Parts: sequence; structure tokens; C-alpha cells
Amino acid sequence: MTCGEVERLFLAGAPADDLRRHAKGCSSCRALLSDFEKTEEMSAGLAAPALSSSLRSKLIAIPRTTVSCEGAERLLPLAIEGELGADDERRLASHLSRCEGCSEAAAVLYETKELVDPIPPPWLAARLTAARPAREKRFWSWILDPKAAIGLAYGAAVIVMLLGFNPADLARKMSSGQLGQNTRAAVTVAESSLSDRLGALQEKAARTFAVWKGRAGGYGRAAVSNVVSLIWKTSTTKDRSPVERPRNRDGRGALRESETSTTNWRA
Amino acid sequence: MSAEEKTLVDRCRQGDDDAWREFVDRFGSKVYSVAYHFTLNREDAEELSQEIFLKTFENLHRYDGTFPLVAWLLSLSRNLCIDRYRRRKREKSFRFVSDDAVLPLLKSDDDPASETLKRERTKLLFWALAEIPEDLAEILVLRDLDGLAYEEIGKALDLPDGTVKSRLFRARAEVAKRIRERHERRGTAGAFQSLALAAGGVL
Repeated sequence: MTCGEVERLFLAGAPADDLRRHAKGCSSCRALLSDFEKTEEMSAGLAAPALSSSLRSKLIAIPRTTVSCEGAERLLPLAIEGELGADDERRLASHLSRCEGCSEAAAVLYETKELVDPIPPPWLAARLTAARPAREKRFWSWILDPKAAIGLAYGAAVIVMLLGFNPADLARKMSSGQLGQNTRAAVTVAESSLSDRLGALQEKAARTFAVWKGRAGGYGRAAVSNVVSLIWKTSTTKDRSPVERPRNRDGRGALRESETSTTNWRA
Repeated sequence: MSAEEKTLVDRCRQGDDDAWREFVDRFGSKVYSVAYHFTLNREDAEELSQEIFLKTFENLHRYDGTFPLVAWLLSLSRNLCIDRYRRRKREKSFRFVSDDAVLPLLKSDDDPASETLKRERTKLLFWALAEIPEDLAEILVLRDLDGLAYEEIGKALDLPDGTVKSRLFRARAEVAKRIRERHERRGTAGAFQSLALAAGGVL
């Protein structure tokens, strides 16, 4: 056991002479200080091992063999897109093999990349097609319907014809060379008032109505006549009994006298 | 000093090859020395030095200039050194220190007799270092063999200066004690004393 004074002096940074002065008068500390100084002197005389030139070259080449964490941050996005050169790829791989943080970040980024481009399951296309929502109809979309377009064209043609345009007449005038005069006339007609056109339209409609009214009257009278005739025929044939036909010897029916004679309507 | 070292690190970060060469020339020998003292093998020390510089290069952005650069460098590499040291300790031949292992640590201007004596003393020192706890051994290596300041050791190992000094004191005393005990066990105290005599009364 020592008194601990030597160690206290050493920790306090006292000069070596102070330690020796204490040890001279303290037998317990004398052996300790002796050991202490012997070890210090053993190691103090040693040389530092020399750094070889080959190792120095390898250490200087380190920036060409790896990248820093900052460099890895810069290179990782390019690596994921496959746009990294071979040298940079090797340097990045070297860094990732040692740096746990960057390696984990790289793993997450590569997994994210896989999430962006998943391989679709075979049933997906069919399900998506079946689940496609109906296209919203716009107010003018009915024009795209062929039936509507045809109807519209017919309607336009009828309106044009009712307003006085006659294609057959136009073709006839074109063949006879009168189109120039008629074109001017058409311009004049186009300049006429809308009331004139409506008046003409009403007149034409009235004529058409009269014709159809006459036809309807004729059809009505014919119908009444047919009904009366049918009623008369039905009433005159009600009390007729079936004709009893006599049989010949061979069993075949023979005509009566009235059936073999010629009817004279004048008589 | 730290501002100048911070500038050097910033230049290295920007890809300045000259700056990195300066960095290697300034700290390469120190790092190799530490690596050698922990491994006592040239190949292992070179491999460890490369690992330390690789790790340093990859973590340059972490250096903020508040540390002495060598302390920061050693703090980064401490685990690597301790891992190697423990790996070496697990080997059966760990306690056997060869002549070749201590040869790079001897100065070449010594005469043959004193060189022989120094070689034996150095082998004895490393044998004793292997015998004491590793938290004491690493302080002794960094202070007495690599010549780091207390502050640098404290920063590197994240210890207060007082703890560094205390451990160093204990480490020195333990090493001397183990050497003395070894000779007492063998009953050949004469051999140890003859070594001391040959060393001119050092031991």
C-alpha cells in the first residue's frame, strides 16, 4: 500500500522533482515511483514505425476508390436511374459496403423505385376495363350521334325547301343558263321581309290542308258506304238454309237446276 | 490550429487532391504508428491505416473544427483499433512478441549490444501491455508510444484530462509491476536485473 501522494502529485501536474522528493522520504511510494519511471523510460526510447511509400500512395488514392457520405447523396439518385458511370458506381458500392446509414438509405430508395414501376397482375387490365366510368355527356354531344346528324340534315333541308329553295328548280336553271338572273332574283328574295315568306308559307299550308281535307272527306264517305253495304249483306243472308245436294247413282253430287241455268239480271 | 485544419478538411471535401495529399502527409505517419502499436504487424497495420483513412474521408463532413484534427481522426478510428487489438488478443500467440514485430520500433543508430537490449525490453513492454486491462493499455500506447497530448487523448477517447492522467499513472505502474512479477515467478530475478544493468541502470 502506498500513501497515494505520488499519484496525487502526478495528477496535479507537479514536476518530476517534487515526486522524487516525496518518494525519498516515503518508502511505500518509492517503489511505485520507480516502477512508474521505469515504464516511461522503456517506451520513450522507441522509434515511430515508418510509413511505407506504397501505403502512402494507397492513402492518397482513397478519393478515387470511394466517396464521402455527401458524395453518396449526390450519386445515389443517378445510380437508381442507371445513369452512373462504372468508376462512380464502384466508388459508391465501396462506400455503401462500409457506411450503414448510406446503405440503409440506398436500400429504401431502391425499394421506392420498385414501387414506382410495379408489375401489374394479369387480371388488372380486365378489371380496370370493367370498372371504367361512363363518359360524361356534354350538351352538344348528341350532334355526334349519326341518327341525330341525319335527322338534323333532313330538318334543315325541309326548312330550306319551305322557305322557297327548290333544288330541282336550281338544277333546271343551271342547265338552261339562267342562274345569273336567278341568283340576282334569289338575292332579291332573300332581301324580302320575313312576313312575306311566312305569308307564303301559310298559304301553302292552307292549300295542303284543303287537299288533305278533301281526301279525308272522300275517304270518309267511302268508309260509310262500305259499312252500309256490309250491314245490308249480313241482314239478307241470315235466314238461308244449307243446300241439300241429291246424289247420283255413283254417289257423286249433282248440280241443281238453278245452278246450271244462266242468271239474267235484266229480267 | 483548428481553423487551419478546418480549412484543410473543407478543401478535401471539395475534391482538392493537393489538400488530401497534404492531409495524408500530415497524419499518415501518426495513424500508421498508432495502428502498428495496436497490431504489432506490418500488414495488419497497413490495412488498419487504410480503413482509418477511408472512414476519415467518408466522414469529413462531420468535422466541425472544434477538435484537434488528430484527436478527431483517432476518435473515428478508435473502434477499428480496439477491434483489431481484441482480435489480436484472442490469438494464441498474442503474448509472444517476435523480434520482427519490434524491429521497426528500434532506432537504427544503436550499437548491436544496446540494440539487443532494447529489443528485449521492448518485447517485455508489449508483453506487459497485453497483460493489463485494455482501457489502461490504450492510454499508455497513445501517450508514451505515440506522443499524443493529454487533451488529444481525452478528446479522442471522450475522457476528462484527469481520467486520462489517472489511467496513465496506473498503466505505467501496472506494466512495471507485471514485469517484476514475471521475473519473480520464474525465480530468475537475476535475468531482469541483468537486463537493467545492461541498460545502464534504467531498470
